[in-house]
Amino acid sequence: MRVSFPYMGTTVVYKKLLELLGHEVIMPPKPSQHTINLGVKYSPEFACFPMKVITGSYLQAAELGAEVIITSGGHGPCRAGFYEQVHRRILKEEGFDIDFIVFNSMFRDSKQFFKNIMKLKGNSSWLKVGQSLFMVYDMIRKLDKLEKRVQKIRAYEIKKGEATRVWDIIQNQFDRANCKGSIQKAFYDGSQQLDQIKTYNVNEKEKMRIGIVGEIYVVMEASINMKMEELLGNLGAEVERSQYLSQWVAYNALPAFINQTHEVEILKKGEPYIPINIGGHAKQTVGHIVDYSQRGFDGVIHLMPFGCLPELVSQSIIPKISQSLNIPVLTLSIDEQSGTANSLTRVEAFIDLIKGKRIKKIS
Amino acid sequence: MKIGIPKSLLYYYYYPLWKTYFEELGFEVVSTPATSKSIIDLGIKHSVPELCVPIKVYIGHFLKLLEENVDYIYVPRFISVLKGQYFCPKFMGLPDMIRHSFEGIEEKMLMPSITAKNDNIAEYNNFRPLEEKLAISPKANKKALEKACKIWESFRNYCYLGYTVVEASDLALGNIKEAKILPAKASVTIGVVGYVYNLYDSYISMDIVKKLREMDVSVKTFEMLNENSLNKKIKTMAKNLFWTFSDKLIGAGYSFYDDENIDGVIHVTAFGCGPDSFIGKLLELDSPVYEKPFMTIRVDEHSGENHLQTRIEAFVDMIKRKKLKAKRGA
Ligand code: SF4
Ligand code: SF4
Repeated sequence: MRVSFPYMGTTVVYKKLLELLGHEVIMPPKPSQHTINLGVKYSPEFACFPMKVITGSYLQAAELGAEVIITSGGHGPCRAGFYEQVHRRILKEEGFDIDFIVFNSMFRDSKQFFKNIMKLKGNSSWLKVGQSLFMVYDMIRKLDKLEKRVQKIRAYEIKKGEATRVWDIIQNQFDRANCKGSIQKAFYDGSQQLDQIKTYNVNEKEKMRIGIVGEIYVVMEASINMKMEELLGNLGAEVERSQYLSQWVAYNALPAFINQTHEVEILKKGEPYIPINIGGHAKQTVGHIVDYSQRGFDGVIHLMPFGCLPELVSQSIIPKISQSLNIPVLTLSIDEQSGTANSLTRVEAFIDLIKGKRIKKIS
Repeated sequence: MKIGIPKSLLYYYYYPLWKTYFEELGFEVVSTPATSKSIIDLGIKHSVPELCVPIKVYIGHFLKLLEENVDYIYVPRFISVLKGQYFCPKFMGLPDMIRHSFEGIEEKMLMPSITAKNDNIAEYNNFRPLEEKLAISPKANKKALEKACKIWESFRNYCYLGYTVVEASDLALGNIKEAKILPAKASVTIGVVGYVYNLYDSYISMDIVKKLREMDVSVKTFEMLNENSLNKKIKTMAKNLFWTFSDKLIGAGYSFYDDENIDGVIHVTAFGCGPDSFIGKLLELDSPVYEKPFMTIRVDEHSGENHLQTRIEAFVDMIKRKKLKAKRGA
């Protein structure tokens, strides 16, 4: 099968899994202004921004010859299959008859999950499927580990842009790895390359740490969020995201009763503000803000896609959280206009404000 | 004691139930006047800009109620009225948005969670949480609910007969006697797809149902369709669709497309509603497939009345002409 998938974050891992299962992968192009324009043109006006970008992305993948699109309830949609129906219909209207395989947590709909696996399995043996899954999970974890380091080093690198460059190289190396040994090697090499980046020595007390929270797609996908992590890094801040792929996998792949992942804890922290799961990542968003404040972070950037229903709820509540926990939070709405000078200025001003606050604290 | 219920959102669907329930328990029910410019402005002023119009309207009504000196305001958290299906996130988070936006308001709010097997939410578990705050006994509570349930069922039966929720509510509560408000045999029937809180809020929808009836059009809406057959329709459509009321709308939309007695479909949507955006797109794309005229009317804080009138007139005329032609051709 010629398969494709929505572009989000470290895409090498999805590609790898599909290749291991013997499929021909159509890499969706990284979202560009063109992707966004396409998406905006063909999507409903008040659809949330990720839905629009993904529409554009699918259209591009379809043009490149994709026959099947694999997506998941966690790559944006608030709820299982939320907009797959509409995507299917839009693509059909444009003359592309594309099949969708939508993955959700195995425990929400195990029958469907199994059916999907069967479709993807193709001619591979079960052993092969199991091995591939394990290998890719291993890869995700290693990539996440390295990325977390990148997010710290970036703040102190002497040559601006070096950490980002190395991170690209690392992802490439992983892309070429296809056995346990070569993954191990890619990890080892990557760590070494990161070690070699020259950095300023900054006193532990002077380090500034910023958390990024919000809806998963805009948090994970740098090409549509003004490269927020790089931006903050260049302004001298260490960055941590509310979502990493390995956490997402762990959370969605474990049954509730043994699910003691980080995510479960975060959800608990969100409870005083939003007691139930209202869809999307709203509850995680508030939970993470609480968590970051408890861990002594200096501030939080809240990324919210235009038209995102659950994040509108969290946005309404954030002023109160920010005030009662005394942690600065900047909400940025992400749409086809973001990345303009105006949003940049707001981020810079926010960081200045935090710096000012620190100076006051010290003196 | 006075209980306030904002005249907004699902007020239009559950008012007969809520009013009966609280009054049965000996409380006075206070509601807000019809939506007005000042109420909307109040809501806009106190909510984040990107929110959809209906939620802003709700916040406006909520604040208006505060001026009325009520003891409590009833702001239920709607979670689910169908197994496995949920409400729009803004409904599920509504009490949170409000209680975290206004200092000290939380004690004044009654915000029980609502989960039920179907639209009939008069289940004890949805009202038990009120016992402590309102100092009512389980026995009295259950008794009031029983009565409320009956009234609501009769309200729904009036809906099925073709009355709008406003009429059905008045009939069920005995405010009016059986009235001849149904248009007699009309020449055209139009399915109107829209949330109750848009369609029946005269300010938001500018009384589109009334306007259509005045043009000798018979109107069908989702709440006039039998709940079970509507659910069946939704199930056959797709594995996973949207949120409960959005599901009802799209189910209704396709039922109207399938129904040969319905000549056209109008989608009424309020500014900023994401789910509606999807519904509109699907219905629009499928209108040629079913060969039924379709039109979207989007209302916002400042849509003009004349404009609306002209558009629906044109739509209805087009359908009338089409029917005439078909008749002649036959
Ligand atoms: S969580 Fe927000 S951005 Fe994601 S699918 Fe839902 S509405 Fe869209
Ligand atoms: S369904 Fe639409 S109009 Fe209703 S609350 Fe949700 S976003 Fe607003």
